Order: sequence, then structure tokens, then C-alpha cells
Amino acid sequence: MERCLKGDRQAFEALLVKYEKPVYNAAYRMLHNPDDARDVTQTVFLKVYESLDQYDPSHRFFSWVYRIALNESINWLKKSSRQEALEHETADQGDGPEQQADDAQLGEGMEAALMMIKSEYRAVIVLKHVLGCSYIEISEVLDIPEKKVKSRLYTARQLLQERLTKQGLH
Amino acid sequence: MAIDPNIVELINADIDGEIGPADRQELEALLADSPEAQAMHAELSALNSSLNELPDLDPPVHLKHTIMASIPKTEAQQRRSNMLHSLLASPAMRYAGMFAAGSLITLTLVSSDQLSNNAFTDVTGLVGTISSEVPDGPGIQSTRIDRPEVAGRVSLRSSGPLLIVDFDLVSSGPVDIIASYSDQTVWFNGFAQLESPGASISAQSGRVTMQIEGKRRYALFLHNAGDRNISINLQFMSQGQIVYDTDIQYTQPGQTG
Repeated sequence: MERCLKGDRQAFEALLVKYEKPVYNAAYRMLHNPDDARDVTQTVFLKVYESLDQYDPSHRFFSWVYRIALNESINWLKKSSRQEALEHETADQGDGPEQQADDAQLGEGMEAALMMIKSEYRAVIVLKHVLGCSYIEISEVLDIPEKKVKSRLYTARQLLQERLTKQGLH
Repeated sequence: MAIDPNIVELINADIDGEIGPADRQELEALLADSPEAQAMHAELSALNSSLNELPDLDPPVHLKHTIMASIPKTEAQQRRSNMLHSLLASPAMRYAGMFAAGSLITLTLVSSDQLSNNAFTDVTGLVGTISSEVPDGPGIQSTRIDRPEVAGRVSLRSSGPLLIVDFDLVSSGPVDIIASYSDQTVWFNGFAQLESPGASISAQSGRVTMQIEGKRRYALFLHNAGDRNISINLQFMSQGQIVYDTDIQYTQPGQTG
């Protein structure tokens, strides 16, 4: 970190190697579009590099990076109004129960369902299930109390379950 | 029947792997007495499994290089780049300056055994075209490269007697590009790069060698006075190894193959 703060590109590259994949995956799950996820990932790391002097070492580095990643993804959604478009796209996907629904179908259904819940709920799901964060880590990233993390996760799961039920996948 | 919020919290903590031994014992006792709570536990466990099974995706292979190429250079690195601009002001570089100019374009050091041997076409009016991506279309041959060391697109088109090879590339480290052509009636006519000083280029008979690093957009101009069909071999080398090798063809308009 110290080398990074001094503008050492090699040290920054090491951070990039460590966090590129989780940031890309988080952005992809928030946006459901590989091109957008790529662009957001690039923006995240540029912001990280430019804001290194503002990083507070009392917080864990990953939580700072993940917070930037989620904020950038949400900003991207707001800018492009992509969320609304996707809601329309995915609204027609519930074709009723399919007995032979295999894991792949469930995966697609889950991805579609994820895009249909509000971004604040999607963010806790992404932190928990894509980035593998604990309650305390999620509270650090989102800067909300742990109790709120639990209730938000619970609501997010309820909403997902409702969406999947409508699609006949759960 | 609504389930006690305390049980709901314990169920969620359990499936999230964040339950302590005492709470787990309490949950087990509560589940034993409540079929509704058991059903909720099973449903949430299944949902969690589905979420955990979402595939882990690999970022595009060139993303890391693109990011590294985008971050600002340190002052020391910037000073090295500025030195190149100073060198361009020297008499030896003015000659190259005739062939590529424009506010967005920078020239690079060129050493060549051909510069004084042949007639040149002024490419001043063409260099600006490298600021925009070359579209796919008739008369344009292109190839895409997607290697860990170097990624991007190379395209070949013609304009009058000139062949223009556009490079839109990003590399993780220094990469040598060797463009070879066997036709002796073709010669090196100029080189331009977009906002990216720092590359080096040398031209010998039948071969142009460029060294690039980072995200770069270049145009290499070859003079093809006879408008002949030619094949240009492109070799991309990283750390002395060929990492990509391809041929790109120019065919006279109206001919095929």
C-alpha cells in the first residue's frame, strides 16, 4: 500500500491482479452486461488509483475497493437507465413451471431475478454471494449497521424468491 | 402463520454460516417444533445454494493491460516521454515530421535505411484518420489479436499509392511487432501514433520493426507505387518469443483472393 501511495505502478498492478476478478464479477452481477462490467471495472481502478491518498488505512482495503465498485455500478445503472430496460426484457421470461428445469436454467432465472430487484438489495446479495463477505464486512463496505445488513439480506432473499416463484423456478 | 422474527434471524444466520453454537442449539429446538420454520429453512437453503452456484467469470484478457495503460505515469516516466518530444525537434526528426503531423498525433524516433532512397508521398492528410477506429468494410482487411501479452486489432487499407496499416493495441509489457513484406517495390513511407509517445520504430528493406507498450494506436504507411497485391507478415514478440503470427493481405480492387 505504501508503495502504491508513492505512485509505484508495479505495486498498483499487484493490487489490480488481486482485485480485478472480484470487482469485474461484482460489476457484472450488478449490471448483467459484460461490456458495462468491463467499463465499470476500468473506472473503479482508475478511481482507486487517483484516490489512493484519500484511502483511510483504518478500514480494510478491500472494503474501500468494493464500495467504489458498487457505487460505480449503481451510478452506471442510473446513468444508462439500464435497470428499467432490463425489467422490461426479463418480464416475459416466466413461462410457468418446468419440471425439467435444470441447474443452467435456474442460473439464468436467478440472474434475471437478480436484475429485477432494487440495486440496494442486489448489492447485499453480490457482497454476500459473489464476493463472499461476512455480515461485518458487508456493514463495513456499505457503511450501515450489521443489523441492517441482516434485514436487507433477508428482504433481498424474499424478493428473489418471489421473482423465482413467478418464473416457476422455485 | 407468521414465523417469529427471532427464528427468521436465526435461520438466516444459519444458512449464512454466521451462527454461534448456542444459537444453533436454540434454532434446532425451534425447528423441531415448527414445520413452517423447517420449510422456510429448506427454501432459503435452496435459494442460497443457487446464488452460490452463479458462475465466477473471468474478466477480458486485456482488461488489466488496458487499466495499467490508462493510469497516469509518474513524474519520472513523464519526463522520459517528454525527452522524446525534445528529440523530435532535432534535424534528423524533421524529415519524419513531413510525413505525419496533426495536433493529436505525435511522431516517434525513426531509424531507417530507406528514408533517403525512395520517393515519398506526403501522408499529412491521412494521419488524422488514426484518431478514429477503422470500420470493417470493403477494401479493409483486419485481424483481431487476443493474447495475454497483446490484444487488439490490426487493419490494412489503401489510399492512392499508400497502404495504411492501423494498429489499435494494448500490451502488458514491451512487445516487438515485425511487419515484413517481400515485394521490393514497396517501401516504408511514414509512421504516426496517437497521443502515445514512447514507441520506437526502425525500417529496413522489406521490414519495419516497432516496439510498443501499453495502450497504443498507430498507423504505418507503406508506399505501394505499383498497386501490386502484397502480403504483410506480422509477428508479435514478447520477451524474445513469438506470441502471435499472422499474414494480412492487400489485393488490388476488382481482384479476389
